[in-house]
Amino acid sequence: MDDLLEAIRLVAATDVLIAIFASAVYGLVVGSLPGLSATMAIALLVPVTFWLSPIAAIATIITASAMAIFSGDIPGALLRIPGTPASAAYTNEAYAMTRKGQAEIALGAGLWFSAIGGIVGTLSLMLLAPMLAEMALSFSTYEYFWLALLGLMCATLVARSSPIKAIASMLLGLLIACVGMENPAGTPRFTFGIPDLLGGIEPIPALVGVFAVSEVMRAMASAEPPKLPKRVFGSILAGQWLLTKKYQWQMWRGNFVGVIIGVLPGAGADMAAWVSYAMSKKFSKEPEKFGTGHPEGLVEAGASNNASLASGWVPSLLFGIPGDTITAIAIGVLYMKGLNPGPTLFTERAASMYALYIIFILANIIMIPLGLIMIRLASTVLRTPRNLVMPVILLLCAVGAFATGANLFSVILVGVFGVLGFVMERNGYPVAALVLGIVMGNMLEQNFVASLIKSDSDILPFFERPVSSVLAALTIAALLWPLGVWIFNRLSHRRITT
Amino acid sequence: MQLSDRITGAVLVSLGAAAAWGGSRLPPVPGQDVGPAAFPMVIGFGLVACGVLIALGIGRGFEAPEEEGPAQSWFSSLRVLVPPLLLFFYALTSEALGFLLTAAVMVFIAAIALGARPGPAAVLALAAPPLVHLAFYKLLSVPLPAGILPAPW
Repeated sequence: MDDLLEAIRLVAATDVLIAIFASAVYGLVVGSLPGLSATMAIALLVPVTFWLSPIAAIATIITASAMAIFSGDIPGALLRIPGTPASAAYTNEAYAMTRKGQAEIALGAGLWFSAIGGIVGTLSLMLLAPMLAEMALSFSTYEYFWLALLGLMCATLVARSSPIKAIASMLLGLLIACVGMENPAGTPRFTFGIPDLLGGIEPIPALVGVFAVSEVMRAMASAEPPKLPKRVFGSILAGQWLLTKKYQWQMWRGNFVGVIIGVLPGAGADMAAWVSYAMSKKFSKEPEKFGTGHPEGLVEAGASNNASLASGWVPSLLFGIPGDTITAIAIGVLYMKGLNPGPTLFTERAASMYALYIIFILANIIMIPLGLIMIRLASTVLRTPRNLVMPVILLLCAVGAFATGANLFSVILVGVFGVLGFVMERNGYPVAALVLGIVMGNMLEQNFVASLIKSDSDILPFFERPVSSVLAALTIAALLWPLGVWIFNRLSHRRITT
Repeated sequence: MQLSDRITGAVLVSLGAAAAWGGSRLPPVPGQDVGPAAFPMVIGFGLVACGVLIALGIGRGFEAPEEEGPAQSWFSSLRVLVPPLLLFFYALTSEALGFLLTAAVMVFIAAIALGARPGPAAVLALAAPPLVHLAFYKLLSVPLPAGILPAPW
């Protein structure tokens, strides 16, 4: 109880409240601009979090990411361009509703079910994290090795991409993490005699390069998105209660699936939205209406992606293993602020954890009024010419990278990773897997090598402990999953043709 | 920069081979079997395997069909290199020229390359760097270089 009161006091501090409000506005605007993803918004926030108190820093990340994931629905519904990848699954549906003259319902569903999903996700975080923390106390390097690998394998199960290319991206990320002196022998590894590489390649310049610079590069090659006609919206939340009652079952299923996918290390909001949309169509009584402007899938997937956002913090807080690319950044900030992830966080820093829950709930509540304002202003915000936004983003990339280390070498790294991200994206290699590889490389190697030393280079002990054998089975299942899908498709295809 | 799977696969094979070879030459930790070499070698072999599979076109069926963009002329496709080049420009000149000047040049060129008219681009180049400087230098105390044109604050 004392912890709860302390948590309320922590959140009610002026700097935290200002941080929540400012990052909410920031997240809404950046998320709504096509091409600027939630991950990019968070990556550019990191230098700002350096100078904030720990709770304010976490608050900016939580609030901005929740807002950006919702706000990505706005250009999706109005322009058929998803603002963030997490909205891509149902962009066509939402746009079809707008063309039927139901833009209010589509946008309102995005807002309303995002907020519900966010709150359900938070409740699951509050429930699951302490439960799993008990278990995590007994984890050894074997379990951590498998958890990290499971996270990486889940990150390769990206929708609409070749699983082999995703695994290659992840391995490339792990290879990049090998650079530097942080290895079992402390010898310079793959540094090519460049002193700046001795400290290794930091995740932040890589993230900013891959998610922001490559986006500016893409803008150079593509035409400016169409201008939004001015429009006046009717009541946005009016039909939502009806939808909630009508599609209650779908909403809960979306929340549930989102929570599960979020808890899985490595799989995040994009995945949750794709899976939930597909599920909604599969189990719907009227699947033929999907794609023609039918709100059912919107309800389920809109709840799902926001639910996964909150539960994605479970593996991050407990094990330091990111649930998605956003929490991958958050983990870095947690370490920086002395809130080192681990099961003891829930016992020793209980007040901070309660504060985190409160911020999550608060963010999802203020999402509704601020989101309504954002939808009404959307036609103005989306009219900002891209050729004036992108140059400022590029400048912020340079300054942000410089700020993380007061080092110009990071600015060069940002440019290099921009090119890498651009080339990879163009050729179908998912960049999120690369980033998670870079973030988790050191952890995976440490636990891999420590486990091998303990076991005298024997592989068997990796599978002997009960939890580690379950995690190993899950990891291998994630590896073989695409093969299973392929065989299943082959068989069902043959059945249709014969 | 659309490359065939054969090319990217081949790049991955050679990168993986180089990683495994380079890893195997790292000095071991005395008295231990497992050292800094183990991890890069595992990754290297993994990359070689993935590269071969990609070059053979395995897993293509999972990929979303490519969206056909409008055909780009050779010159305009070079424009994608403007952002990274501007970042290198920033890294090379910001110490000497100072943040305000470097940033103004950077913003102006980027806006023009994106198709902005010179007028708005110039206004942006004059307005954005001081604001960014104010936020990062004053509020966040990032040591942005003054160079030949120090900010008045």
